[in-house]
Amino acid sequence: MARTALRPGVLLLVGLTLALGLLGALPWLRLGSDPVWGRIQAGGRWRVGMDPSFPPFEFLDASGQMVGLDVDLAQALGQAWGVETELVAIGFDSLVDAVEAHRVDAALSGLTFDPRRTRDVRHSIPYFDAGIRLAVAADSPIQALSEIADGCVAVEWGSGGDAVARRLLRQSETPPFQVQAFPSPEAALEALATGVCVGVLMDTVSLRLAQAEGAPIRLLDPPLESEPYVVVLPLEARTLQAEVDRLLERFGQDGTLARLEARWFGAFVDGLSGD
Amino acid sequence: MHRALGKGPFRRGPSVEEKARDESPDPVGVDVVRSPQWSRRYRALGGLALASLFLAGLLWLYRPEDALGPGRTVRTVNPKMGVHTRLTDEVEPWKIRRTMAMVREMGAPWIVEYFPWAYYEPSPGRYLWDHPDLVIQAAVREGLTVIARLGMVPEWARPQGTSELYLDPERYEEFGRFAAAFARRYRGQVNYVILWNEPNLSLEWGWRPVDPGEYTAMLRVVYPMLKEANPEVQVLAGALAPTLAPPGSEWGMNDLDYLQGMYDAGAAPYFDLLAVHVYGWRFGPDEPPDPQVVNFRRVELLREVMERNGDRDKEVAITEAGWNDHPRWTRAVRPGERIRYTLRAYEIARTEWPWVRSLSMWVFRFPWDQKSYQDFYTFVDTDFEPKPIYLEVQRYARGEDIDGAWPEQP
Repeated sequence: MARTALRPGVLLLVGLTLALGLLGALPWLRLGSDPVWGRIQAGGRWRVGMDPSFPPFEFLDASGQMVGLDVDLAQALGQAWGVETELVAIGFDSLVDAVEAHRVDAALSGLTFDPRRTRDVRHSIPYFDAGIRLAVAADSPIQALSEIADGCVAVEWGSGGDAVARRLLRQSETPPFQVQAFPSPEAALEALATGVCVGVLMDTVSLRLAQAEGAPIRLLDPPLESEPYVVVLPLEARTLQAEVDRLLERFGQDGTLARLEARWFGAFVDGLSGD
Repeated sequence: MHRALGKGPFRRGPSVEEKARDESPDPVGVDVVRSPQWSRRYRALGGLALASLFLAGLLWLYRPEDALGPGRTVRTVNPKMGVHTRLTDEVEPWKIRRTMAMVREMGAPWIVEYFPWAYYEPSPGRYLWDHPDLVIQAAVREGLTVIARLGMVPEWARPQGTSELYLDPERYEEFGRFAAAFARRYRGQVNYVILWNEPNLSLEWGWRPVDPGEYTAMLRVVYPMLKEANPEVQVLAGALAPTLAPPGSEWGMNDLDYLQGMYDAGAAPYFDLLAVHVYGWRFGPDEPPDPQVVNFRRVELLREVMERNGDRDKEVAITEAGWNDHPRWTRAVRPGERIRYTLRAYEIARTEWPWVRSLSMWVFRFPWDQKSYQDFYTFVDTDFEPKPIYLEVQRYARGEDIDGAWPEQP
């Protein structure tokens, strides 16, 4: 009697357990399926959003075509996957929303990591650090900020470089250097070129652009304040993110990123190569 | 075992055993004999002590978040200087206090802060004042004058499917009741209240066509309720957005036309000051006013509208203003220009505009990075690191010789 009464109960219990287990495993079963990656593969193209108003990362050339470092990078990624790259012009402040709304497969436009949006979108590993750096004359022996004793550091008044300089001065008991503010980045770089100051604190984009225009300056590593640029991807695009990360890592190792940077900024002259 | 406690007729005599213990010369024995009564007392005392300790612990745990310390005053050469804080979503009390302390240290005696009706009256008549208490106490303690901006409709007070900025005419009284409760609670602490924000933009008017007549109808209902609750309160109307929207635009109405519309609808008796937003975009603060241009001196055109309508005795409070130094935004200026323009704007308000009560720049700090051009309106980072503009404004407010320190113009 007990056996016959137990059997349906046990069966029910086992069935329920299996059903619950299956339900619980669903997210894991879906792990491998990335609808965005699937769509890219099936359609043979990936759509990348960017705001073409930020040279040399993305801007319009004379013929109205989007060009720049980010454009090249998007195309290099697409090429590696064997798909076409479609560029979509979107305003800077709407880029992340466009990714979240699936209007594009990625936003690649000098965007920075946003910890508040990690529930909405994914971020790739960094591909460029636009942070604040110290730059010195190409023939200067200075290798670090601490070596600037008597000279001054030029900054653009009110800029991120100015903010970093003021912070460093505030934090040290004896001022490690003098700061001189100038009304524009050009004027600050001019102060370095003419020897008024022995260093300049500025964002990496401005410094690299100055290098591209022939300024004989040398950038010192590491940035004093980091601002890494990343690719923003849809939340469910696990495979796409893994692919982007894998390729960015490879591009870093095989020199692709350095080549792209050199194309749009000129060769990077850092503290070590200046030795 | 129990010894009789009473003295009445029911007291029984000691037992032999008890007698023996009572007669024992051993003092321990005496204690033993008295122990039941004393132990009760000890237990009671011990319990009381424990309860007191527990209570003290609770009081310590739930002590009013850090004592605010003695009241302070703002040291400044320009009493019209202000800044719009953004503490609506700032939950950490120390950050609220730090914000107010840094505003004072910068030298700005005025703040504008947003107090959303939807946050503080989640159901009809049930008010949650904890957060505004924190904000206002911190501001007052730092010697700051608060201009409270009231708006945002709770879900229960608006038709289903409408935006939180949709204030139905049938709800003007409910809004008035909230505003009155606010004014009553903070009487003596908050004497300036802005009713609504940028009602000349469709977005801010619940995605409806904007209507200065309707806005005036709201003022007509809420103004007397506020005055009854706190006769000292100064009611600010408008907080108009600078816009060149053409007639009939679905997005909004030109602020000059909207203000005239308010006067035409009879708004004059229902506000004490006009609140105005003036952004400079890429124009310097000395750029002359022009009805076809959004620039800092556009407020002079609004002032002309006031004067034309016989309202010259009323003052203006600029409750949002400023320049942005985002490196990519098309309406931004260079960081140095932003500093120069901001300081000049404060000077203009002080020296050229006697009819301006205060000039509050947008925005002191956000609780978190917006990751947009908005981050480049701030004076301090989210981690309270002062930006150069903060330090330069501070120097100006202290009367330091800014002119000599400014870099030469290129």
